[in-house]
Formats: sequence, structure tokens, C-alpha cells
Amino acid sequence: MNSAPGHRKDSVLSETRKKIVVIGSGPIRIGQGIEFDYCSVHCVWALREAGYDAIIVNNNPETVSTDFDTSDRLFFEPLTSEDVLNILDREEPEGVIVQFGGQTAINLARPLHEMGIRIFGSSYDSIDLAEDRDRFEKVLSELGIPKPAGRAVTNAEAAVTVASEIGYPVLVRPSYVLGGRAMEIVFAEEDLRRYMQYAVDVSPKAPILVDKYVLGKEVEVDVISDGVDCLLPGIMEHIERAGVHSGDSMAVYPPQSLSQDVIDQIVDSATRLARRLEVRGLMNIQFVVDNATNTAQVLEVNPRASRTVPYLSKITGIPMVRVATHVMLGKTLKEQGYVSGLHPNTGSISVKAPVFSFAKLAKVDIGLGPEMKSTGEIMGMDTQYSKALYKAMVASGIDVPTRGSMIATLADADKQEGAGVIRQFSDFGFDVYATGGTARYLKTVGIDAIEVKKLHEGEGNIVDLIKSGKIDLLINTLSSDKRIEREGTQIRRASVEAGVPCLTSLDTAQALLLALAARRGGEDFALATVDEYLAGTVN
Amino acid sequence: MPRDASIKKVLVIGSGPIIIGQAAEFDYAGTQACRALREEGISVVLINSNPATIMTDTEIADRVYIEPLNVEFAERVIARERPDGILPTLGGQTGLNLATQLAEAGIVDKYGARLLGTPLKSIRKAEDRHEFRELMREIGEPVPESWIVEEESQLDEPLKSGIWPLIVRPAYTLGGTGGGIAYNEAELREITRRGLSLSMHHQVMIERYLAGWKEVEYEVMRDANDTAITVCNMENFDPMGVHTGDSIVIAPSQTLSDKEYQMLRTASLKIIRALGIEGGCNVQLSLSPHSFDYYVIEVNPRVSRSSALASKATGYPIARVAAKIAVGLHLEEIDNAVTRKTLACFEPALDYCVVKIPRWPFDKFNVADRRISTQMKATGEVMAIDRAFEPALHKAIRSLEVGIYGLQSKASSKMSDVEIEEAIRIPNDERLWAITEALRRGVMVEEIHSLSAIDPWFLRKLKGMVELETEIKSQSSAILAASEAEETPPADVVSLLTRAKRAGFPDRSLSDLTGAVELQIRKLRKRLGIVPVYKIVDTCAAEFEAETPYFYSCYDSENEQ
Repeated sequence: MNSAPGHRKDSVLSETRKKIVVIGSGPIRIGQGIEFDYCSVHCVWALREAGYDAIIVNNNPETVSTDFDTSDRLFFEPLTSEDVLNILDREEPEGVIVQFGGQTAINLARPLHEMGIRIFGSSYDSIDLAEDRDRFEKVLSELGIPKPAGRAVTNAEAAVTVASEIGYPVLVRPSYVLGGRAMEIVFAEEDLRRYMQYAVDVSPKAPILVDKYVLGKEVEVDVISDGVDCLLPGIMEHIERAGVHSGDSMAVYPPQSLSQDVIDQIVDSATRLARRLEVRGLMNIQFVVDNATNTAQVLEVNPRASRTVPYLSKITGIPMVRVATHVMLGKTLKEQGYVSGLHPNTGSISVKAPVFSFAKLAKVDIGLGPEMKSTGEIMGMDTQYSKALYKAMVASGIDVPTRGSMIATLADADKQEGAGVIRQFSDFGFDVYATGGTARYLKTVGIDAIEVKKLHEGEGNIVDLIKSGKIDLLINTLSSDKRIEREGTQIRRASVEAGVPCLTSLDTAQALLLALAARRGGEDFALATVDEYLAGTVN
Repeated sequence: MPRDASIKKVLVIGSGPIIIGQAAEFDYAGTQACRALREEGISVVLINSNPATIMTDTEIADRVYIEPLNVEFAERVIARERPDGILPTLGGQTGLNLATQLAEAGIVDKYGARLLGTPLKSIRKAEDRHEFRELMREIGEPVPESWIVEEESQLDEPLKSGIWPLIVRPAYTLGGTGGGIAYNEAELREITRRGLSLSMHHQVMIERYLAGWKEVEYEVMRDANDTAITVCNMENFDPMGVHTGDSIVIAPSQTLSDKEYQMLRTASLKIIRALGIEGGCNVQLSLSPHSFDYYVIEVNPRVSRSSALASKATGYPIARVAAKIAVGLHLEEIDNAVTRKTLACFEPALDYCVVKIPRWPFDKFNVADRRISTQMKATGEVMAIDRAFEPALHKAIRSLEVGIYGLQSKASSKMSDVEIEEAIRIPNDERLWAITEALRRGVMVEEIHSLSAIDPWFLRKLKGMVELETEIKSQSSAILAASEAEETPPADVVSLLTRAKRAGFPDRSLSDLTGAVELQIRKLRKRLGIVPVYKIVDTCAAEFEAETPYFYSCYDSENEQ
């Protein structure tokens, strides 16, 4: 019989085997999806493989982790410290693992640690060092690792002072956030004051972070460390520039535009951070590569498994959760056959893309920004970047139009760059519709755009056009002008109701062009199993 | 009948990304199905675009394709792998739609494969409103007055009928996308237009809206030999009008009389037989709160979110059994993997209460429309098990991670009486706490019932919980003192604490209500021996000894090993 690793037939608990409790991730929500259930299940398998009895605590009925034969014992219970401590009182395990259940599990590290429970993997202090903004900043400066300039503030005046010191635009957010909640990019003092007044509850206990918004590529790595060696299975480069939440960005493995120098910086910083934070197991680091200085600056670290772990595991063939779990149990990376540094690239190219559920959520603005909005993700794999992009676009529900009609409405700041993108669509034979300002601009640069009325200009306006069924694509970049944005919101909602793909980032549009070119090229897309991609035996 | 030996290789279609209406339940179902097939020596080919799933691990399936879930790529996988069969009913609506498209395009036949499990004909009968309605008429099962509409001009008939309100449901969509309730002609036209544009088959059904009726579901299984069982039934806390995925759900049903329970069970079994389902299906029924009248609302001819919930609520692995049935096995030939002594043809029995609460994304989208109706908005859900409704509800609330641990929410405690009334009358994510707040303010159960149509049984339970909360508050100084003292507190305090824990009050709520430190309450409880015991979910109410260690806690007397 084929069976999963560590899947024993005898599920009766042995009195001699040692027990470890794995904390699950609770309900699926935006910012904490199925990937953490994937991680929890793999952790359970690794524990059983290592000869432990694995006990899981979770409350989500939809998952594999709460299947009756995944673990040695399943406790279908809330994930509060009270309920978990009750289980620990009964089971008296060696300890608990909190690295795989997302923020839900990591949040239990403190109360469990305070009750004297052993946390396997990175210690509570190590977790706190990564999560406490002040302590973490000291670590960065001690190691000489760059980060965007900025400080925590507790009132509006201080925020304005910091912003004028570091210069606009600034990224503002509450210091304790999950999935980028209440995060904004602010371009002017007036908006900063409005944000401080209305968007958040500020108090000395809940400071607001004001950081320089760095223009550049975002990059994300997951690190497995045993305290000495530090393995980076892969780097994922975001396709949308910084400012779009990492969970809402498309991302590609391996990176397509990073110089070797930047990659070296990333590996070096990640390795030194993992050692300094005494990481045992997994850590996720997000960088922004500053276009101006070509430096990789640290945006944040998560002292736990991240949403990219299942992706990189499948892409690289490194069973990341299993390796990390064995590290936590005391087996070094060397003993598991891994060495420090960045794992060599596999031959395939993989693109991860977000999937949204906007059709179900009336009134929600679909424009992308620092707050996460996607509910799920998919991946496209191929041997060429453009083909992997195409697959990712299609799999995420964008019916890649190879020709037809499109509408462009570009914010002033994006007109120049946007025109370059629109020109390529036009060259592909798309009819380009645009509203007043955008249409005039496109004409000045020689793109033959058909002008369409704005929303408030009466019948036959842009929304009517979207709803007419004649439009295959909408490119609508976000303006910092609130008056324009009110109309923008309605235009984007109309696209959702009419089922027209709407892109709010020029980077996504550029990616779509590449995918389109792959489709029109007429060459075959690869078709291979995950194993074949790994073995490099794809035609 | 032993399993069909001609099936050596099977293609399983996954459900793709997590979206509202399709969450992790299909990874759970798909993973179980892959394992069940491999137990039978069958080689499994898997296609799914979502790699963050256990089913796409090479430990679970033999050949894993991370490719887009569309006809083009699925055909190439079929052409390359030449599976003997395709299992379409485990990948949610996405998987089922793709399998249907492949079959209709002749691709399944072209490569010598066949669809396994429930025949396509049955799927069509269940999913096409017209065919379904016809079938229900044939077997004498009542369906609400309804009209199939494919263009706006066909609205004349429903308008002529004078029936209001009407509910609009698009055909072939996820989680009821594009549906809604219309109270007048303008709304009917608007919702119909939207529904038509979102339906894959450009078809909506317009139907009498059964305002205030109970919504009840049965999970049923049937094999090719026509043996059929019910796995469990579930009752929605929210009456008709709220999508099941957005409703608080209780299993087993709590407010049905035995006669009602049996009547609906009989109907469900009759329906699964009439449809010719081979595997699992979900039957949704609507029951009048005032008579024995009922209507059949809808059938899902596949595993679903509800079947995942039913599996976890009972311990009966619906997806596993459905996969075994698909390769020819009969219910009496399939082991119950929990007891390993009984067979899959035994109907589970529950000696506990299960509560599910949806998890909505409104913490992320503060501008979103927070009303809930026929269009699902939840991204996920939590489930809790306990001996009774009250503690199970309490557990489910604190599992949500929305900053609420018990019966009180900040938002509803700040609402005016008028706002509270509104929040009870029009379903929304805050309704449960609006109800407890109303009870706290002395509003009568009858009044809340007339506003919400929620069954008085549930409301009386909530009232009891709020009364207990008041009692705890009135004893707060005694509890606070006890939590700080070394000696044993008076007997009435011990009894109150015991009752509070049996009703599911977490230490955190006790701390909020009394001012005592949460950990001090924990210490006090432990000193007094007020600690939980753990019971086993064994599918058979302890009739047989279970071998699967699946536990829930309760403040009861006896531990089960």
C-alpha cells in the first residue's frame, strides 16, 4: 500500500513514544489561508516519521489537519491559551510547535512560554526579537543591515515630523498588524493627518509606524536555519513594485531581474539575521530592493513558516516543513544533507498569482495596495517565464484576451509609463478606449485612443461601456486624488460586476503582455508533472 | 460487488484556488479520495492549479500536474496519462464544471476514459433547475413555485403571480454568486440582470422566498446497489434567506420533532435514489415552523463544504466512502475507518452537539456591505464540539479570532436600541451579539423571534446564557475574592463556576465579568477540580469502541481514553 510518510496503520497511542503538540491555524481568512494547514500537516508527518506521537489542535472543519487519521491525536478545540493549556495539562507532551499555524499559533508562543511550556524551534525570545519593532531595529543596526528609514510614533504631530524628515511618500501602519490591515501609502501631510485622525486608534500602547516608502522590487525569502547553517531554498521576486501587499502580488521563482550583487546581499543578510535571531526552523524575510541605491533593505521578518513555503517546497523539491521540523527536533541541516546558502535554481520557472473573490463582496474596492485582499493563490509552471505567466494568469481566472477592446484610465503620475504599456496592447491590435485626460495624452504620443465619457458625463459613459460586454480588459491605475478615486472605485466595481479583468498595476499589465505574447507565439506550453519539472526532463 | 478491476488509473480534478464559496474543504476531500483510491491499488493522476494543498503532494497522488484547470490543459493531461476513469465530484463546483465540459466536448470518450461515481445524467438532473423541478414533481416531493428565466422578458409570469418576496438564484455558480431577494419589480429586474450575467448557462431560477422557514440539510450517501444512508442532518440557526455557508449551523438538528426529522430524512433518501447519485450528496430542505409543510430547495450532487462539516461532525469520512463507491464498492463492503468494526452502511449517531460559525472577511473590508443573505461572503468557518449547544457555541465564538471571546461584543454593546433591532432584523455578521445584547437589555424572546424568525429554542438557550452571565456578574466580588484567596470558596461560588464552565464560558469572559485575573481563575478552577474531560468522536455514540483518537473537551465527569 502506498501511504503518506509517517502514516501509521496503528493509531493507538503508544505509552513509550514522546508526544509533541502542533498548533493549527484556525479558520481560513484573508491573510491566513490553506498554506498553513499544508504546513501543519507536513509537520505532523515529520514528527511521526521521527518517532514522536503528533497531536494536533485545530478548529477548522474544512481541513486535512483535522482529518481523523492525519495525527496520532486530534483535539477539535479553540486555539486560545486556555483551551490549549487544558490539552497540555492532560497530554503532558515534550512541548509544542507554533511555527506552522500562521499568526494564530505564533501568538500563543508568549502565553505558553510564560506557563513554562517548551516551544520547539525558535525560542519565545527569538520570536519576540523578530516581532518587537524596537528590539528588531536594534538587531538590524547592530548587524549593519539596511531598512527603510522611519520610526514608531504615538501622535499625529510626531508622525508629521518623521515624515518631513524622511520625505514623502511614506508607508503608515499600526505596529501590530496581520496581513497589512489599515496600511496606507501617504503622499502628503494633509493625508497623513487624516490617516492619523480617522484610520487608526493611536495610543502609546498602539504606536503607528511611519516608514519611507521605497520605490523598488519586493523580494521574499524563506530561510531554514539550525542556528549555525542557514538554507535558502529559493528567492521569489514580486512582479508588482513595492506597495502592493505581498499576498496580493504576483511573484516569480527564480528572480528575473535581480543582479548577482543584490542576490548576494539578500543571502548574506538572511543568513546573518537567522544566526543573530537564533532561528531554529523557518523564518520568512521580505526585502525591498531600492532602485536608487541597488540595496536590499529589510521590510519585515516573520519568525515562522510563511505562505510561500508550500510553493517553494514544490518548486525546489526541498520538503521545507519536514527539514525545519527535524531541525527543531535537533537534527542539523548538515545531518540532513543540506548546506548553507541559496539552493541552486531548478530548471523550471514558476509564477504565483493571487485570486480574489470580489464578485462576492459588494462595495469592496478592488484596487491593490498595502492591504491584502486576495482569498487564495495559484501557480503556473513552465520552462519559460512568459509561458509560466500565461498559465498563472489563466489559472487565476483572467481570461487572457489575445485581441479585442480595452479601456485605459491612467493616473497623472502613471501616464508616461502607462502609455508605453498601452502602446504594446495597441500594437497587438487592441482597440484602446480612454477617458478624457488619458485619451488626450495617448494621442499626443501617437496612440490612437477612442475617447469615452467619464462617469459623470452622462449616458454612454465608461461604466456603460464596461457593462456593454464589448470590453475585454480594463487598466485603471490608482490616483492619489480622492475625488478622482471615488469615480475609480465605481469603474472598478463595474468591471467586477461585468466580469471584465481589471488591472490596477502597470507591472501586472506588463506581465499580461508577456503572457499574451506567449499565447500568440503559437508554441506549445509545457505539460509535465511536478517531479518532471524538478528532474528537468521537460520538453 | 468487488471493486471494478478495469479501473487502474484515475484522474482526480482539484478545485483550484481558495475563493469565497470554495475553501480548504476540497483539499480535505481530494486528499481522502486519493488515499482511498490508492488503498485499492489504483494509480492516481491529479490536476490542480493550487500547490498549497496536500492533495498535490507526491506522497498523496502518483502523478501531480500543477496546471490551469481548463479544458485545454486538462485534455492534454488526459491525452498524456490515458486514465481509465475521471473522478469529477471531489473538486467542488470548479472540478465538476470542468469534468462536465470535458465530457460534453467528447474529450472523455475520445481518450477511452469514463466519469466515475455519480453519472453525468444525475449531475445534470440535480443542477439544472428545470430538470430538477420536473423530477421532484414526478416523485411527489414539493418544490417552491418557481420560474426558469433566461432573458429579462420572461419576468412577466413571476410578476403576474403576485408572489412576494421572490428569491433569485443563478444556475451553475459558486456560493450563490449574483443571487438575491427581491421585494418589488425594480429589485427583481436588477437582480435577475446581474444573475444572468454571472451564470455560466445564462439561467436563473426565480422562486417563492420562504421567509421565516427553517433551513435543514441532510448529508446522504448511496451506492450503485441502491443502498442509501443519511450521514447526519444539520440545522441552520438563521432561517431561510441566509446562504448555508453564511449561516451558523448546528448538528444534529435541535428544534425538529422526531416526526419532522424522519419526514425530511425519508424525503432526502427518496431524492438521492431518484437522482441516481453514486456517492455523496447534500439535500437542502425548508421546513415550515408552523406545520409539517416542507419544500426541497436544492441538491449538491457532489462532496461540498457541508459534507466536510458533516464528516468532521460525525467522524464519517464522506469523501473516502464516495471515492470507494465510485470504483464500484458497495456501502456494506467499505470499512468504517473510525471504529474499524462497523461498515460504511451504518448511520452515525451523535451524543454531542456541533456548532459551526462562518468566518467573514469584514475585519479586512470595513467598507464592505456586512449584510448576509443568499450570496455567500465568508472565507472560512470554525467548528466546535461539546455536550450541549451552549458550550459548543461558546467554543466556536472564541475560535473565530475576531477579538470576541464570548457573548459580548464591543460593537453591539455600543449600539442604540434601534440599531440593535435593525441588526437582529436584517441578518449580518454581528447578529448573534446583537441578540445577546438585546436579551441583556431585557428584550423578550418573542420579540426577537418576531424580528428574526430564529427558532425560540435557540433564543431561549441564548437567554439562559445571558442570565448566567448576569449571575456571574452579580457574584463578581465573591469570585474575585476566591481567585485571590487560598482557602476553598463557598459552595454557591463553586457551583456557579461549575455551571459557567459547563455552559462554555471561557476564563477570559469570567475574568472580564468579575475583574479577576484570567490565570488566577484558572488556578482556582484547577484547585477546585473544575477541569475539562475529553470525549471521543466515534461515529456510534460509544456503541462500539473507536480506534481513532479524535477528542473534544467538556466539563463533564468522565474521561474517554
